[in-house]
Amino acid sequence: MEYFAGVDIGSTMTKVVIMGDKMEASLIGPTGPEHRKLANRVMEEALQQARLSFDDLTYIVATGYGRINVPFADRQITEITCHAKGLQSLLPSVKTVIDVGGQDSKGIKILNGKVMNFVMNDKCAAGTGRFLEIIADSLGVPLDKIGEISLTAEKIAAVSSTCTVFAEAEIISRLATGEPVANLLAGIHDAVATRIAALVRKLNVEPDIAVTGGGAKNIGLVKALGSKFGRELLVPPEPLITGALGAALMGKDIYIKYASEGLKPSRSGNKLEEATFFK
Amino acid sequence: MAEEKKGRAVATSAAASVPKFVRGNMQATLRAKEEGKKVAAAYIADGQDEIFRAMDIVPAWGESFSGVCAAKRDAEKYLQKAESDNFSRSLCTYATCEIGFDMMREELGGAMPEGAPWGGIARPDMMIGNGQLLCDPRFKWPQATQHYQRDVPVFVNNMYYPPWDPNGDHHEVEALYVKYCTEELRELVKFCEKICGKKMDWDRLAATVELSDKTWDLFIDTYALRKHIPTPMDTGDAMNTMVPLTFNLATQEAYDFYVALKAEIEQKIADGFAVANPEKYRVIWAAGLPSWFALGDFQYFNSKGVVFPVEVTYRGCEKIELLDLPKTNDPLEHIAWRWVRYWTHWYDAAKKRPGSTPKVERIIEYIEDYKCDGVVFHSAFSCRSWHAGIMQQAATLKKVYKDIPILIMEGDIVDISSYNEADTHNRIDAFIETLAAYKTRQG
Amino acid sequence: MTDIQTGNGLAAAEKLYTQYGSRARELKASGKKVIGYLSALGPVEIMTAAGVLPIRLKGNVSEAISKGDAYMETIVCPFVRNVFDAAVKGKYDFLDGIVMPHQCDSIDRTNETWSYTLNLPFWHFLNMPHAADDPSIAFTKEILRLLVKSLEKYTGNKITDEAIAKAVAAHNQNRKVMRDLYDLRKSNPPLISGVEMMKVCVAAMSLPVEESSALIESVIKEVKGRTPAAGDAKAKRIMIIGDQIDDVAVIEAIESTGAYLVMDDLSTGSKMYWQDVDATPDPLQGIAERYLRKLKIPTTFIGSAPTYEGILEERYGHMKNYVKDFKVDGAILFIYKYCDPYGFEVPAIKSYVEAAGAPVLYLEDEYSTSSLARVKTRIEAFLEMIA
Repeated sequence: MEYFAGVDIGSTMTKVVIMGDKMEASLIGPTGPEHRKLANRVMEEALQQARLSFDDLTYIVATGYGRINVPFADRQITEITCHAKGLQSLLPSVKTVIDVGGQDSKGIKILNGKVMNFVMNDKCAAGTGRFLEIIADSLGVPLDKIGEISLTAEKIAAVSSTCTVFAEAEIISRLATGEPVANLLAGIHDAVATRIAALVRKLNVEPDIAVTGGGAKNIGLVKALGSKFGRELLVPPEPLITGALGAALMGKDIYIKYASEGLKPSRSGNKLEEATFFK
Repeated sequence: MAEEKKGRAVATSAAASVPKFVRGNMQATLRAKEEGKKVAAAYIADGQDEIFRAMDIVPAWGESFSGVCAAKRDAEKYLQKAESDNFSRSLCTYATCEIGFDMMREELGGAMPEGAPWGGIARPDMMIGNGQLLCDPRFKWPQATQHYQRDVPVFVNNMYYPPWDPNGDHHEVEALYVKYCTEELRELVKFCEKICGKKMDWDRLAATVELSDKTWDLFIDTYALRKHIPTPMDTGDAMNTMVPLTFNLATQEAYDFYVALKAEIEQKIADGFAVANPEKYRVIWAAGLPSWFALGDFQYFNSKGVVFPVEVTYRGCEKIELLDLPKTNDPLEHIAWRWVRYWTHWYDAAKKRPGSTPKVERIIEYIEDYKCDGVVFHSAFSCRSWHAGIMQQAATLKKVYKDIPILIMEGDIVDISSYNEADTHNRIDAFIETLAAYKTRQG
Repeated sequence: MTDIQTGNGLAAAEKLYTQYGSRARELKASGKKVIGYLSALGPVEIMTAAGVLPIRLKGNVSEAISKGDAYMETIVCPFVRNVFDAAVKGKYDFLDGIVMPHQCDSIDRTNETWSYTLNLPFWHFLNMPHAADDPSIAFTKEILRLLVKSLEKYTGNKITDEAIAKAVAAHNQNRKVMRDLYDLRKSNPPLISGVEMMKVCVAAMSLPVEESSALIESVIKEVKGRTPAAGDAKAKRIMIIGDQIDDVAVIEAIESTGAYLVMDDLSTGSKMYWQDVDATPDPLQGIAERYLRKLKIPTTFIGSAPTYEGILEERYGHMKNYVKDFKVDGAILFIYKYCDPYGFEVPAIKSYVEAAGAPVLYLEDEYSTSSLARVKTRIEAFLEMIA
């Protein structure tokens, strides 16, 4: 039995997936500033969960923002390619993927698990999870509740500033004039959805459309995005692991390709240990 | 260009009648086909008005359309449409707003997109730009639009004027530039003749040029009335009253508008009317296109006793006699001389004051003539053409003139997402405090 | 220039790239006047004929803008701001003057900011037109004549037509040898990497024309003698399109993935070298024609063909040839933020090059390495996509 591991080091979360002929393990942990040194710890935990040893792994692919900091990975592949692969394996009908992360958002067109086109926003907080985080903070509402509260709004209190800094000021002053929190939350979800939709429309958007990443767990955002595209959007069961899943599946693809030519892909040759090149 | 929202007041009824002009211009493009006229997508202050009007070409002014969208705070969907085909948000938002609209109209087979402001503007028969020294979008914009309207021919001429050189003498190269401009205007005429299928009526052109000369003079005479203390009309109105000069030059309607405006202002002065009562401070709007979605900010200034008796922006003319134009029978050459002499009008003054620049001399002239206590610039982020160099103007003004209070506001012409009203009002308040301190020091 | 003599052209290029302007400083110390210029519109033939060293100005993508912001707006092109900042910081203190061509608003509208702040002994704003019709050619000749006069006044030497013709021949020769070097990128794998090529191009634009040609010839000799590596048959061949890219940072981001950068349409690359000046009886005629009509830059309006397809061919046809001749698999369109001339062309360039058979990645960035990691992710994803 061949086992493939995918390690997705995002800006806020580190995810590991180990695939045999089914998912053997999936793990999500906070990234934090020490992620560079501690990818191995997350991997160890995942191996424990799967009841496997490091040497049982056939091929390891690292992806995400911190993918270059995984010395025991055999290959680095961008999260764009990995999300496409992972998402399509979970939701085969999807042609357009919207990934809303903590620090960036992406749109990906996929066909048969391959990326056809992509767009990214990683400069401006306004279309990312960060925007929602900042506003939730200033409104004193727990981040994991803002979505459901936004859905209870009587109306969308539209926020005209698309810049996070200005929007925050605008919302505070609206709150002071008595605007209900739910309406304001509906407003910022609408604002984020608008920015993301503007980004994604650079692609030739085709259904089915799926949302993944941390933002997919925010039901208010998913609904707001759906209204921008006039349809209900699909959400995978665990949005945070699609990247790691895709990375593992990419590893499997690479292995199979080499095997078909009677070869084995080269391994990193590194042990599963703390990265030393940061000392 | 007046705001549709309630609460935006203008001082003159002439200014209040301007939306009619703007709407009329847009509707003229929609009627043109049935009237047997050609529509030209064009851009303001390109020196091409007389040629259009003499040939009954109906201009569809890009800046007007986008300005209306901005004033109605309804530009975002068009900006996003342009963005969806990879036009960056950092580009001129006048252009990307209209391009977005044109893209939508094209996808509808020429039908007007839903919610088009004031009925929208017609698909043009031609697009005419100018590679003048002022603004790159004025030749990139039509070129970019052609990607979505491929059968619409684009023509770009190039009307240059001598660049400022503190160590040179622009009079030595004037003739070269006038010759070039004249030839470029001739190329434009040839293009228009081809598209319209008829020859230029040169007598009609000469009459049109004469009319625009007269309009320039009347405009300056009218605005000179604002020197009165207290001022009867400020920049808040001028952002409307500039419309006929800018969009309807070389038409009788434009001339008549200023006849009416002049009479109205004379009456206001006689009646003792003041834009701000009491008028505490007089300030010049020294450069920058305004935020069309926030013209109400002028009332905010007024409410604090601050008035703008004069502005550089959209005052694109001068008294013809001051330009000292050589006599010529060729109306194109006359336009060329007027163009070159207007744009170099303040060069001689700048040469006389070491360290100065022509733009700064123009500001100083108005500060003196209109008795201004302070200076306001507006830096719009999407427009390098009118806003790059403002810091240098402000620094030079400080160096060569007096220690006059200067405010540089930041925002954009069309993109409201950059605007924050509370923040802007705070800045204005702080500036007013410096005006107070300055005036006290002046004694 | 001993490196060149011993056949180490690449080493010499590396040195000139890393210590940009070092040769200019040497020549200045020995009495030569050094005149900087911005953009591919700088008429180097005239400056060479005047007996001065023309040096193409560049900034430093690894250096944050700090002093320049006190004088120049942040909405100005990030490249122009960076070069201005470098000048304000004294990086170009060896300059006797600058020829500033009117390429775009970011340059034209900040001309006074530059000239008044730097206060150099020689300053000339070259008012190149935005159109390329016949009156514009005639006008350009006059404008070039004004530059000749201005340089004559400054140097105290007459610039004869013969001197200009001689300079034209020298710069044409320079262009020819650079094209010969580009030819060595056609093989698979190319004999010279994109990183090496960038260093040679940057070095070349800082040298007197004969030394530039000698450097390039030395590099050709060195590179030709290389045993071609086995290379990766599956590695993608990439072309980069943009204006002034003058640093290896983004090239490394491309080539570190295993792809080869085999061609460019940059104002520091092929745009400088692909078109020669015709030897015309009035040498200024040939110069005007090259810089206005043959040099394809977004700030010169081109649109005389009767159909839109024809216009696209006029503007971008050379890119189709590059895709074919250099067997390009994909193109990266790398445009700076706040650039109206290129920004408005993005949809047209993208669709044209894709129709020519090369998928295009459009990147908008600053003239800075601060966002390099993000740029790299996009490049990697693009290469994964076209694999």
